[in-house]
Amino acid sequence: MITACHLGPTPYAEGLRLQEALVGAVADRRTGDWLLFPDHPPVLTVGRGGAPGGLVADRAMLAERGIEIFDVARGGDITWHGPGQLVGYAICDLTRGRDLHRFLRGLESALIDVLAGYGIEGTRVEGRTGVWVGERKIASLGIAVRRWVSYHGFALNVAPDLRFFELIHPCGLRGVRMTSVADLLGAGAPALAEVRERAAQAVARRLDLGDVRWVGRDAVLEAAREAATAVAVR
Amino acid sequence: MPIKIVVPQLGESVAEGTVSKWLKAVGDRVRKEEPLVEIQTDKINVEIPSPAEGILEKIVVQEGTTVLVGTEIGQLSGAGEASESDVAAPAAMTSAAVTQAAARAAAAVSAPRGAAGATATAAPPVAPARPGAASSGNGGAEIEERNLSPAVRKMMRENNLAADEVAAIRGSGVAGRVTRDDLMQYLQSRTERPAAAPAARAAAPAVPAAPPAFLAARVAAAAGGPREEVIPFSKVRKLIAENMVRAKHTAAHTHCFDEADMGAIVALKKEWGPKLEAQGTRLTYMPFFIKASVIALREFPWVNGEVRGDSMVVKRYYNIGMAVGRDEKGLIVPNLKDCDRKNLVQIASEVNDIAARARTDRLKPDEIAGGTFSITNAGVYGAINSSPVINVPEVAILGVHKIVERPVIRDGQIVARPMMNASIGFDHRVVDGELAVKFLRRVCEILEKPELLWFYA
Repeated sequence: MITACHLGPTPYAEGLRLQEALVGAVADRRTGDWLLFPDHPPVLTVGRGGAPGGLVADRAMLAERGIEIFDVARGGDITWHGPGQLVGYAICDLTRGRDLHRFLRGLESALIDVLAGYGIEGTRVEGRTGVWVGERKIASLGIAVRRWVSYHGFALNVAPDLRFFELIHPCGLRGVRMTSVADLLGAGAPALAEVRERAAQAVARRLDLGDVRWVGRDAVLEAAREAATAVAVR
Repeated sequence: MPIKIVVPQLGESVAEGTVSKWLKAVGDRVRKEEPLVEIQTDKINVEIPSPAEGILEKIVVQEGTTVLVGTEIGQLSGAGEASESDVAAPAAMTSAAVTQAAARAAAAVSAPRGAAGATATAAPPVAPARPGAASSGNGGAEIEERNLSPAVRKMMRENNLAADEVAAIRGSGVAGRVTRDDLMQYLQSRTERPAAAPAARAAAPAVPAAPPAFLAARVAAAAGGPREEVIPFSKVRKLIAENMVRAKHTAAHTHCFDEADMGAIVALKKEWGPKLEAQGTRLTYMPFFIKASVIALREFPWVNGEVRGDSMVVKRYYNIGMAVGRDEKGLIVPNLKDCDRKNLVQIASEVNDIAARARTDRLKPDEIAGGTFSITNAGVYGAINSSPVINVPEVAILGVHKIVERPVIRDGQIVARPMMNASIGFDHRVVDGELAVKFLRRVCEILEKPELLWFYA
């Protein structure tokens, strides 16, 4: 079983804190696996694969527009998150298979399944982790692992304003163009909520996690709070 | 002896990794389990904990360089103090396991069968009496102390620091643990405002110190809640209840006890634990118990089987069950298949995996069926002996316990040895006392002299 939650509006820093608390709880086997869907305001994050030069826009301009930049401990390079994008944090116990690449491929497969449901053929490109439609990238992945528990996850472009990606060279890849479900389907594009529902199912299926149990934001905050208390008690 | 830091196994399909970030600089002191370096492979960034306590002596592979799994990327200098203390505290296990064990101990599970075999290490560090700690005398302090490193505990003893005093320090270590540096800083700040604190304490006895947060929470719940509560059995609880009653009604339960000098196993675990850990497998005592049991079972086949009607079925395969306690979720006994065909490392890895999945309800049905013999470790919660209930239709169960330094006689001299009591619960219908005693003695013998594996395994 995996517990899923649509967190709603979540500043990036808050999402990070939440994940760190839950990673500890999962590692200590105090909770099962989580799949969290935050709605982040526009934000840029740089993974450990980030090389200088990934950022196109100048920092003053970003500050002016209120777009924060975070250095995070996930794999991968620079990326953008924001409205219209389905961001999924997968906080999963990886001790079962103990194979990090298989986990990554599982998430990719799940996203490819979701796209297939809308008649979009998503593909893998060797050496360029993520999901691609033709030459364009539609979903990015970046995972962090601590004590054999994953966090961070994936970002699927459902209907974001793709101009945001002009601020960066997505994933540090020059000349990469992004696309989205809405871009490809036009008026027939599904709502974010529906994609979220299907993504959760697909992830559970591809990672062999059984049923998806949806909970409210309060339940997640409560679990994180408990995890933090447990840490304090130590 | 420097300890090598290597790129650990990150999965069958992962051949190489890139050093993405050193979290410590050369010369920094690190504790065992403290995040040390990050390795990136594909789009996954993995935090690697330190395999031991020591000082980061050398960075062999710089950030941004990609190397094969198993490559040495740095060196840790001798863990001197930590390794010494390890002998005294064979339970220096990973922080996760400590937390679990502590949490369970706090839950005060009394049934011996509620023992988790998985983390199988028992033996909370035996700290000599600490002046000052006696006054605190609550369970909270005990729990807190188990999560402190041997070095920190030593410092506490030397400075007469009570456990609850240390508990109040904000730790900078993993999961807020109090580190040596934290303690040094605290001691310094304490001497800077001389004797103010003790004086204040003595002068105002009327205001009791606030209990730790978790204690307060528990006390409040007890005071405010109803005096009784009716909690219907869960499905699992119903099954456990039925099994226990059936076991007690059908098998002619009898118990006997022995003890083993665990010195050799403690040393083996100390030496090999960090090496296996570096390869991604946490080593507990359970794999040793399983291995020793399998060898003894092969010599005493009647102990490995089941009663079926009026027949005894002797089994020539060895599926060893281990009791996993899961707090309120209830006991479960998954078994590891064909343990006679697996080496210790394979068993260790499977023990960790199956225990983890037992706790998160991810066992496959065949993993809780088809066992031929079981082991239960009540030592995880601190027990030094138990009379375990047989996992029927099996005919015997081995109980293992806390490893405790005890005075014993060797060559006419009183010496301290890490001793462990072992017990066996057996079905006297088919297993005679003589057989049970001989079998148990053999298990203990193999634990005491692991070199017997050379000759009999």
